[in-house]
Amino acid sequence: MVDITLRVNGATRTGSPEVRKTLADFLREDLSLTGTHVGCEHGVCGACTVILDGRAVRSCLMLAVQAAGSDVTTIEGLAADGEMSTLQQAMWDSHSFQCGFCTPGFVMQATAFLGDHPDADERQIREALSGNICRCTGYQSIVEGVLLAAERNRERS
Amino acid sequence: MTAIAAERYTGASIKRSEDPRILTGAGRYVDDIKLPGMLHAAFVRSPLAHARVLSVDASAARELPGVVAVLTGADLDAMTVPAPDPLLAMFGGSGPMPEFTLLATDKVRLVGDPVAIVVAESRYIAEDGCELVEVEYEDLPPVMSAAFALDPGSPPLFANLGNNVARPLSRKEFGDVAGTFAAADRVMDFHVDVHRHQNVPMEGRACIASYDAELGLMTVHAATQSVHITRNGIATRLGMDADKVHVLAGDIGGSFGLKIGASREEQAVAAASRHVGRPVKWVEDRGENLTVSGQAREESFDIRAAFGDDGVLLGLDVRMVIDTGAYPGMGGLVPSIVEAMLPGPYKLAALGFESTAAITNKATYVAYRGPWASETFIRERILDVIAKDLGLDPVEIRLRNVAARTEPPAMMITGRPLAGVTTRESLERVTQLVDYPAFRRRQAQAREQGRYLGIGVATFIEAAPGPRGPEGGLGMESMRLRLEEDGIVALFTGQMPHGQSHQTTLAQIAADEFGVPFEQVRVVVGDSAVVPFGLTGGSRSATMTGGVALHGTRQLKAKVLDFAAHLMEASAQDLVITDGNVWVRGDPESAVAVSEIAARAAAGESDGDVDAELEVEASYDGGQGGWSGGTHCAIVDVDVETGIVKVERYIAVEDCGALINPAVVEGQIRGGVAQGIGAVLLERSAYTEDGNFQSATFMDYLMPTACDVPRIEIEHLQTVPLDADVNFRGVGEGGMIVAPPTVVNAIEDALEPFGVRIYEQHLPPARILELIAAVRPRTGAGTGPGRLPGRAGQGPRRC
Amino acid sequence: MKLPPVEYEAPTTVAEAVGLLAERADEASVLAGGQSLIPLLALRLARPELLIDINGIAGLSGVSAADGQVRIGATTREYVAEESRTVADAVPLLAAALPLIGHEAIRSRGTIGGSLAHADPAAELPAVARALDAEFVVRGPSGTRVIPAAEWFEGYLTTARQPDELLVEVRFPAAGPGTGVSFEEVARRHGDFAIVGLATSLVLTGGVISDARLAFAGLSDVPVRAGAAEDLLAGERPSAELFDEAARRAVQDADPPGDLHGSADYRKTVAAAVVRRGLRAAAGNAAGGGN
Repeated sequence: MVDITLRVNGATRTGSPEVRKTLADFLREDLSLTGTHVGCEHGVCGACTVILDGRAVRSCLMLAVQAAGSDVTTIEGLAADGEMSTLQQAMWDSHSFQCGFCTPGFVMQATAFLGDHPDADERQIREALSGNICRCTGYQSIVEGVLLAAERNRERS
Repeated sequence: MTAIAAERYTGASIKRSEDPRILTGAGRYVDDIKLPGMLHAAFVRSPLAHARVLSVDASAARELPGVVAVLTGADLDAMTVPAPDPLLAMFGGSGPMPEFTLLATDKVRLVGDPVAIVVAESRYIAEDGCELVEVEYEDLPPVMSAAFALDPGSPPLFANLGNNVARPLSRKEFGDVAGTFAAADRVMDFHVDVHRHQNVPMEGRACIASYDAELGLMTVHAATQSVHITRNGIATRLGMDADKVHVLAGDIGGSFGLKIGASREEQAVAAASRHVGRPVKWVEDRGENLTVSGQAREESFDIRAAFGDDGVLLGLDVRMVIDTGAYPGMGGLVPSIVEAMLPGPYKLAALGFESTAAITNKATYVAYRGPWASETFIRERILDVIAKDLGLDPVEIRLRNVAARTEPPAMMITGRPLAGVTTRESLERVTQLVDYPAFRRRQAQAREQGRYLGIGVATFIEAAPGPRGPEGGLGMESMRLRLEEDGIVALFTGQMPHGQSHQTTLAQIAADEFGVPFEQVRVVVGDSAVVPFGLTGGSRSATMTGGVALHGTRQLKAKVLDFAAHLMEASAQDLVITDGNVWVRGDPESAVAVSEIAARAAAGESDGDVDAELEVEASYDGGQGGWSGGTHCAIVDVDVETGIVKVERYIAVEDCGALINPAVVEGQIRGGVAQGIGAVLLERSAYTEDGNFQSATFMDYLMPTACDVPRIEIEHLQTVPLDADVNFRGVGEGGMIVAPPTVVNAIEDALEPFGVRIYEQHLPPARILELIAAVRPRTGAGTGPGRLPGRAGQGPRRC
Repeated sequence: MKLPPVEYEAPTTVAEAVGLLAERADEASVLAGGQSLIPLLALRLARPELLIDINGIAGLSGVSAADGQVRIGATTREYVAEESRTVADAVPLLAAALPLIGHEAIRSRGTIGGSLAHADPAAELPAVARALDAEFVVRGPSGTRVIPAAEWFEGYLTTARQPDELLVEVRFPAAGPGTGVSFEEVARRHGDFAIVGLATSLVLTGGVISDARLAFAGLSDVPVRAGAAEDLLAGERPSAELFDEAARRAVQDADPPGDLHGSADYRKTVAAAVVRRGLRAAAGNAAGGGN
């Protein structure tokens, strides 16, 4: 067990995880943030994606103790004051998802990507999301949600 | 199409009511649930495909701090009742059933076969405990192919069966098979193989079982397509009355046919909970999901086809072998559906069909989205080959084969009427959307530059729910509808959505029928004590549940208006409901909110003559039912130096009657097509000859990604209405059924200069090169080890 | 798939890390990015007793240019190297390869040193290092060693690093004028490991190839230089016929592995195609200005 302190969704959180516990399991079990999902536990499906120190990372490929001192955003942390982010709203409008299991990973990965590449085209978006697996949608509706969010962000600014 | 009253929602892509929680991480999947005192389970699993279990020693595991219990196969046998698979119990199997214990006691029959369950304070410790359970095995020769299974010399997996034949060979004939073949211009023989692949939902199987000894009540939080079938499976195994088992389901991360009933592991978890007296959670990891949860589609076909010089397919004689894996599942039921569906929308006059199901040391054959899909694959594949043989265009040959749409409808030789089938229209529409002559020119130019483009089409029909036919009906769908005290129109349905958006689509229908805003309807699912029996599967819900929602809402509305009439001192015929208000036609001032009517009914404001219990039990027999179907078209680019195939363009012209929610319909189609593309280009559940499973991680079982699936253009045909009100038909399975032959047809077209003919469904790059004889074909079912992280080969890279 | 019990240390200096390695040697694994190691642990395929997490060691990451080399600290994140102007300008082959490594989220954590110490022969960075004759700087109890790439990759997932040594830096030669590079690979999907990949660096002087470096990923248990092809190319002018012959020579003696995703024969066929395409692209880059 190692005592750790980190910031999660803007709040200081502490815990004493076993060293071998992944960040994904720590978020879900110790912090009760079950929005981050576990789909494979070997870093391929992307369902566990969170934003850590400004970068999208696979939380199943990090030990919780490695996140000590870091700034983590999970899907629960995106909506501000109960209002969905532009991307979340655009995905709602675009019918981006079906069963919802892959959703948190896609939303976090796309959030990070759009932050760095606000004018990405469809090909670039597909490449950026090619590390996230969805079994339900065939991806088109997800890509359209991201494109719509990018468009709305541009209109806003 | 007959209009539905106040058509505001139905037919529009209304935003999903599921999404606010899905998009913000507030969904509630089984693994998100924490119960007080909850423990975690993991399974000790066989490393061998076929072996005798000589001994199981759990003593070291039981000593591990944090391990609460270890139950071996023998332990579980003593505390449970022998029970058949609940799904098979519903549909009925034929022939002798194999005898086996809940977890393995004397024998293991596939890699991953569970031998013991370890219950501990955490999944981490449970897995540690599994490693300490010592199992002594005696290796037996594995049965890794249907061919070997059907050989009487193969070691029987089940002692009571004596051989590895799950269903003995049986033959049926429709029409005059011998005469048709004798008179035909041409007869051709084919052998077609479809490879093993599987559902792979993003959430695996999962459940929490919680036994309350005081009440004698078992509560199960399940990921399931039917809370009632799961309940029955667990109740039977535990020797409990069904009403003492309460199954709850919330959000479910996909299923595609996998999560029906109660698997052996889930039954073991329930027994374990009863034994330890605490809730026990089991969440299968990806390795378990890929290795043992179930696989599908491994079938081979010997086909004799009789056809005319004009390309009309006159007769088929088919022998099917299906590899159903080790433990019984619904694999044994698939051949009869394949047989029934083989004629498709075509004029086929004669069909001979026989099948046999083989038992092998592989994961159980489970239902996977369109379990009978091979019928479309073989039909659409051989049509293309016949077309080439005759020098016919692939669209033209299909147009010649399509049964004319007549009244009364043409009958499939296997007995079902082709009512409302618009295959011809969909074929013609595809040719309008794709400029074939222009493509052929582009294809010719590309070939000169060493690039190989191809185009393929395939047609299909799916019984969604299927037509009402002379042999019988479509079953019944039930629903309870109630105007709640607060004015919410509540629909209680046995449907168990796992991505189908029922909470939105059914609310659309009810909102329109009743006259309330969409937000004033609530669809209640996932509680075996509260909802009527139901199952989400078979692409039935659009018609069956849409229909019972429509008619049930009308019945509820009539009851509410009767009550409102009494309150408002008006005649029920003069009352209308719009936007959540009841008012006298022509007198807007008279409006009373539906919520107020509801409140007053709940408060007992009734003079006794009028029914103030604003609830109805409705049922619906599917009306005329109907087919869905269409034509898909793919354009591919095959790199003949590397074998890499890109799907450049994909078009789906489909007909599912009226659409409740176009975005939902299109999402279903695109998801199915993606699975079909994955099946052809990427996905294979691979075993070695000695029984090792090679596709146990996502590095080896390759899933299609956003770079593998193109934009899928969809057109909906407004079709022949078969019913005054309910013309919604399902689309759940069609994409996955027709995409594989569509893509394979396109690949064969691309490789035409090499004279390639394709009689299989899995075409990874290495296979493409073998087909064009650039590479020596290699023998055997997948040689070499599967990929593990860090080994050379496929899978994402990491550092 | 949960990780087995394991101890954990997070040294803050190289000396401390080396001390731990010296003490625990064969029982310990170095944890850098974790993108390869953690899956191995989760699948319980690797069972070290101790994880030595080096992410907290100051001064172990960073990109700098000195003495005609680009020096990259072992714990430099792949995305940092990808965004580095220095790398883009001075080591274009590395810049070409980095975006092919997995997906962005992997590169957020994966490290340059970690990938090269893991030495997966199907990965991109080992092929780049081998092509450019990179140097590997290791620190052990008895001091510092600099190991050339030709000696670094010893076998499948095996390097010349001794169990008590820590890889601290990788040095790449800065590209000279007339350099054209490419990283060509055939993979099942975008972001997957290469079935076969090729790191190519050519120098064109007056339209003639004065230096040719080709290193394969996925063709053996280590990244391999295509020596026979390199000898053929030196002193010649680029042409399709030349590249065809180079491809033939490059795969002639190759003995690649066969597995679920392709037979040995398939890999050889694809390797030849990759050589042709890789040479075409690299020559095109050199002609177009290169470096």
